[in-house]
Amino acid sequence: MIRKIYLIGNPNVGKSVVFSRLTDVHAISSNYPGTTIEFIKGYLSLRGEKIEVVDLPGTYSLEPNSSAEKVAVSLLKEHPKDEIAVINIIDSTNLERNLLLTLQLVEEGFPTIACLNMCDDAVHRGVHIDTKKLEEILHIPVISTCAVTGVGIKLLIDRIKEAAPVQIDKLPHEERWKEIGLIIEQVQHLEHRHHSLREMLEDASVRPLTGFIMAAGVIYVSFKIVRFIGEFIINKITDPFFYGTIQPLLEKLTLHWQEKSFLFHLLIGNLVNGKIDFKQSLGILTTAPYIEFGMVLPYVISFYFVLSLLEDIGYLPRLAILLDNLLHRLGLHGYAIIPVLLGFGCNVPGILSTRVLESKRERFIASTIISIGVPCVPLQAMIVGLLGVFGGFYVGGVYLVLFLIILVLGLILNRLLPGYSPEFILEIPPYRFPPLTILARKLYFRVKGFLIEAVPIVLIGVLVINILLYLKLFDIVTGVFAPVIHDLFGLPKDAIVALAIGFLRKDVAVGMLAPLGLSAKQLFIAVTLLAISFPCIATFIVLWKELGVKDLIKSTLIMITISIIVGTVLNFVVLR
Amino acid sequence: MKKISLVHLKSNHKGKVSEITGGAGLQNRLMSMGLYIGKEITKLSYVGLRGPVVIRVGRSVLALGHGMAAKIIVEAE
Repeated sequence: MIRKIYLIGNPNVGKSVVFSRLTDVHAISSNYPGTTIEFIKGYLSLRGEKIEVVDLPGTYSLEPNSSAEKVAVSLLKEHPKDEIAVINIIDSTNLERNLLLTLQLVEEGFPTIACLNMCDDAVHRGVHIDTKKLEEILHIPVISTCAVTGVGIKLLIDRIKEAAPVQIDKLPHEERWKEIGLIIEQVQHLEHRHHSLREMLEDASVRPLTGFIMAAGVIYVSFKIVRFIGEFIINKITDPFFYGTIQPLLEKLTLHWQEKSFLFHLLIGNLVNGKIDFKQSLGILTTAPYIEFGMVLPYVISFYFVLSLLEDIGYLPRLAILLDNLLHRLGLHGYAIIPVLLGFGCNVPGILSTRVLESKRERFIASTIISIGVPCVPLQAMIVGLLGVFGGFYVGGVYLVLFLIILVLGLILNRLLPGYSPEFILEIPPYRFPPLTILARKLYFRVKGFLIEAVPIVLIGVLVINILLYLKLFDIVTGVFAPVIHDLFGLPKDAIVALAIGFLRKDVAVGMLAPLGLSAKQLFIAVTLLAISFPCIATFIVLWKELGVKDLIKSTLIMITISIIVGTVLNFVVLR
Repeated sequence: MKKISLVHLKSNHKGKVSEITGGAGLQNRLMSMGLYIGKEITKLSYVGLRGPVVIRVGRSVLALGHGMAAKIIVEAE
């Protein structure tokens, strides 16, 4: 009686894609090892029965070497073996290395069924596997699938019931690899292929000279595409909609309203020159939706489109190799670039994915760097939208300041914290070009996730802020912090409201700065402070969960110190 | 045939792993990824300046941190 199905396999063999096919639950998949850092559950209907399916983080063997692998192995041992079925997902293009785990599963007596995934890619690369023969040798069902297109999934589901324990001898690893070598000789036939363009690009991207040239090109083009798509959506879709449709509608609606009434203040906010100004009015029907849908959403879409594309192609691990050297000096190793890049979308998934790093020390450094020096897309979109008016020079300046902060902070933390930065060992995936439907699905779920998270907070946030402003309750806080804000950072005391709101959401906070009529210098300092100072509440909670209270306090103290130093230095030294 | 570390093996050259000088933890980890004594590898590149070494093992490509690569001794062909 099968009550639970586990998906297990080496990192980056497509477990999450198979999982999504089996359960219709969307699990984020990418072309690099370690996308799934925790298990994900879903349900599969099998002969009218709902059976729980668990997608485990990737593991090379049943003796775990990393924290994600430990999660996988301990979950697998949670249930009695006769109540579960284990689907071992195998990368067909790399059968030999994958078989170690398969044989370990069989040896341990798990009812196992092998799923040779990515069979289309294997054929492309001239790898032919005799599944019948493999089935005879292993005595377990072997099904070849291509999960991104769905080929073989139905057969896989049909044969799950055949999973049964098999008796084989226990062997030490060395013997096992010899045995695997013999199996491979019998079942795998390699066609000789000339180096394809794809393979040449794969090699070029990890060699020093060509690698750095390619990296510069990829980063430059990525930036261009993010900007192009973002601006395209704003200029062609959202701005015409807000200014052409929403504005006349709101003006008609509010024609006879009292401008100074409480309701008007809440819904529309303040008129600028007698008109609604989406950037400055600060109403629930004006600025709140405009910030989220008119300024931030276009860039969320364009950023995640480019990031998802780079992820699925498999470029990111190559960037990790090239940056390993630099990141070592900051107490990290190359693979930390993945959490950092995810952090540019939103700090929350960035900090969660620091779990791919081995030590507590690394996770602390990476999380602190992300929450201080890595601005999320909503914040960046607002910085571009408001500060960009004064010229690209200022926007570039913010990035430069943040980059310098990351460097200096990393160098210092690496010096001061006990311990050392461990070495990395990373499997570099081949380039893959998944179908556009997979990419679109991933983009859809990421954008949906953003909207679900952001929209309620923004609406409620703007509502609460407006009530507080109306009742003039902020005046007490402004009074207390005015000396710091004014004397040290050179900002008007009203800016304290915006900085405080940064704790709620950074994009709204930058929006709050718009009506203050700040100079370029003041806006520069204010947005830089918003980026480095206290993280938003969602990030704060994740930091708490991932680091624990003690390290959270440490991290917070670092943030406050840096904010005060950087704000003061920018005000008195750099932008004098 | 001379025994040298992966760092010193020339790029595009082949070698056979003859010794892994790290602790049991490292040996197990490499073993589970298919890198063990007697295995043939090809060095693909070295990023330089104490950066990682990239090798091909069987059909996989592995990047190893500099310190780790220095612990893997190969017999160069």
